[in-house]
Amino acid sequence: MVFSSLLFLFAYLPVTLLLYYNIPNIRYRNWILFIMSLLFYGWGEPLYILVMLASITEAYVFGFFIAKHLPTNRKRARLYMILSLAMNLAALLFFKYCNFFIENLRLLPFLTDTIAPIEGLKLPIGISFYTFQIMSYTIDLYRGQTDVQKNFVAFGTYVTLFPQLIAGPIVRYRDVDDQLMTRTETFDLFGSGTRRFVTGLAKKVLIGDAAAAYYEYFKATDAFADSAAGAWMVMIFYTIHIYYDFSGYSDMAIGLGRMFGFRFLENFNYPYISKSITEFWRRWHMSLGTWFKEYVYIPLGGNRVGKLKQYRNIAVVWLLTGFWHGANWNYIFWGVYFGVILMAEKTFLLKFLKKLPSAVQHLYSLLLIGFGWIIFSFTDAAAGISCFASLFGIGTSTFCTPTIAYQILRSLPLLVIGAIGATPLPKKIWDKLCTVDWTHIGAIREDGNEEPIRMEQTFLPVRGKIFAVLTTAGTFALLVACTAYLVDSTFSPFLYFIF
Amino acid sequence: MKKIIDILTSVLFAAFLFAFAIAFVLTPDADFSEEENRSLRTFPKFTWERLLDGSFSSDINEYFADQFPARDSLVGIKGVTETLLLKGENNGVLLGDDGQLAVRLFDAYKSRLERTHDMDYYYTENVALAVDALNAFAKSSAVPVTTMLPPRSVDVAVSAFDYPTEISDALDAQLAESIVPEAGYLTDLRAQMESRYAAGEYVYFRTDHHWTTYGAYIAYTMLMREWGMEDEIIPQDAFTVETVERFYGTTWSRAGYKFVGPDTLELWSLGSEDGFTTTCYAEKQVKGEDGKPANVKEAYKTFPGWLNRDYLAKKDKYAAFLDSTHNEQTVFKNDGKDHPRLLIAKDSFANTMVPFLAQHFDLVIVNLAGRMTDLTSYVEEYGCDRVLIVWNRANLIENNILAAIK
Repeated sequence: MVFSSLLFLFAYLPVTLLLYYNIPNIRYRNWILFIMSLLFYGWGEPLYILVMLASITEAYVFGFFIAKHLPTNRKRARLYMILSLAMNLAALLFFKYCNFFIENLRLLPFLTDTIAPIEGLKLPIGISFYTFQIMSYTIDLYRGQTDVQKNFVAFGTYVTLFPQLIAGPIVRYRDVDDQLMTRTETFDLFGSGTRRFVTGLAKKVLIGDAAAAYYEYFKATDAFADSAAGAWMVMIFYTIHIYYDFSGYSDMAIGLGRMFGFRFLENFNYPYISKSITEFWRRWHMSLGTWFKEYVYIPLGGNRVGKLKQYRNIAVVWLLTGFWHGANWNYIFWGVYFGVILMAEKTFLLKFLKKLPSAVQHLYSLLLIGFGWIIFSFTDAAAGISCFASLFGIGTSTFCTPTIAYQILRSLPLLVIGAIGATPLPKKIWDKLCTVDWTHIGAIREDGNEEPIRMEQTFLPVRGKIFAVLTTAGTFALLVACTAYLVDSTFSPFLYFIF
Repeated sequence: MKKIIDILTSVLFAAFLFAFAIAFVLTPDADFSEEENRSLRTFPKFTWERLLDGSFSSDINEYFADQFPARDSLVGIKGVTETLLLKGENNGVLLGDDGQLAVRLFDAYKSRLERTHDMDYYYTENVALAVDALNAFAKSSAVPVTTMLPPRSVDVAVSAFDYPTEISDALDAQLAESIVPEAGYLTDLRAQMESRYAAGEYVYFRTDHHWTTYGAYIAYTMLMREWGMEDEIIPQDAFTVETVERFYGTTWSRAGYKFVGPDTLELWSLGSEDGFTTTCYAEKQVKGEDGKPANVKEAYKTFPGWLNRDYLAKKDKYAAFLDSTHNEQTVFKNDGKDHPRLLIAKDSFANTMVPFLAQHFDLVIVNLAGRMTDLTSYVEEYGCDRVLIVWNRANLIENNILAAIK
């Protein structure tokens, strides 16, 4: 099931809320979440519930072994950890990468006829996400950073929790450890969760999907191959689309989590305002970055090793990051692309960049990010290269046609909204509005200062009421609009499903 | 105060979800949507097999969406929102001056089988295939052929939109260049309609993809001139015009611009239509004398005139002409005399031309869209004196049916 569907919003969610809040005991509340999450997961492909349950059970059982041997026999505990990780990774490798390896091995002449791809092997949705979550439990347990979870339902709830199950954020076990058995649901949390969820839904439905439609249009009409303007539009709208789609999804996950008393860590922090690629990767899909840093980069020695090994570590992490995103060469290349840039920034580029005007730094980052998205979005290498070349007018027959110009013109408002919405500006303005005392605007201050009176607190009595109404009305209007779009389109699959 | 906002937001959110959930349960399922002119999905059949392969759940998704409460109003809200976002169009439909709508994006086919998604582009090779078939048919035909390829609204209502005409022009040029003289192609149909539209004449509907009855009349006069029957053209003022208000066409349904007002559908007549009879035929399989199955043609519906007035009270008012769609029909005068026979191989654009053409010919009408493409056999069977092909350009771009005529 996906969040941006009518069935989720108006059948699944109300039923889950109703059941959840009518049960007082947290143990049974976890039961509800566990069962409902399995239903959520199995809605499209019921059989893959079994794959996920197997992974959960395996990690749960091995957790006991690890915990048992940890105080006395660390080597033994380590063995169990490795075994557990191996089994988990085996499932991921089999379902996600098996056919990719087979197809590439078949390129070797003597293997072409001896092996064949496994037919009917479909990727269980979210396997990349939940495998990483489970692994975080096993590793943290071994490191003594968390306690063994004896309650199977609680552990199952952690892995399957529907808000983050299929597209993250990748929640580390130790970050929600204590919330699994003790958490308090409050109006405070529910209200902010609602606003967050609706914001995410609007980001996805109103902007992300619309940008995707423009992207598809420019891509489908082969505009990118014939016209430079078309190629730029492919890049720009993919850049907008993927941010609003993915960060919108994370917002929804965080919001839904709050509705059930969970507090997840942030996953995005305005990535497109970065001044370098190093900064970009600290702001984009933060939970994945943290995971790789914590469980791959640092164990390999991180920064505290010789220069050469440091570069090796960066290379390993970025090769894996790319490959994690999909079983295709373009994703690997995408990872390598960023790995190389990050190494260059680390050695000399960052120092040099800092001397340049900040506008140049932004432009540099956005362009490299955009080029990256071209690699990312074209699984067909030839088309990707053609699009990239078209950006610079290579191989194009025209800069722009009247029809492409028309399309660009009508997509401009979305582009502007998308660009502004990707910066902290709207939030800043809103916060500022909330701290200006509107009841005093126009009144002459006794101290002669012409600035409006600024309040220390965010919400104060009189004006607070206005903002209470405005905030709520805004949230509600967005919700109605999103519902209208969902009814109109009915079908809008999440991009991040394929990973 | 922060607390009040949170309570208010929480309660409203939950109330919104539950309101729709409850309304969904309480409202009975509808089988058909007039707005969308299609059957709605009802509750799917449950089997364990269907559950395990995921088809049950995907059907449930569709069922839930199709039966969703206030579906039409919500579609309207989306239309308004898109307008506020200055997109200038919705669901591939352009919004022009005076509420003129036109489909801009089409289903386009890359090859005979592979459908690509909506786009405003056409495959010249596909159109070339259709033209080849048309040319071959026209050259081999024993009777004269005339070809009318009615333009799309977007080709005609040019003055109402900012939308560039390069694609319409390219299609125009390709057709004019490649169709052989034997096919009797009316080259200036689009130019006629476009200039009349620009002059404020009501030749095409605003909310429907068809031409109006007046537009059909213009097309009729052009045909009569083409056939050298200029003197027999019935003047416009000889007709009495009955108007049917509140016609919301197909483009309007697709657009979701609920604020765009309706069209008026005109019925033109020379007094009574009772002097004509429309008969609908279908092939039926029966057991022949030798025990083998054989096809027999059977008249399954006959009515006086060419209108089914029941449709005038429904949403799909255009369907009143020729009783919507039938694969094989005749419209004959009841006077028992022999009239020249005209075979019309058509899509729905020809339906509004029937009231005019029936005055001069006995009409044999076959529906190309229903793949009635063996025109030579119809000419022989009915002893037709002429063939008229009426095939809208959207059809020409979107499918490969015309390429099958012979």
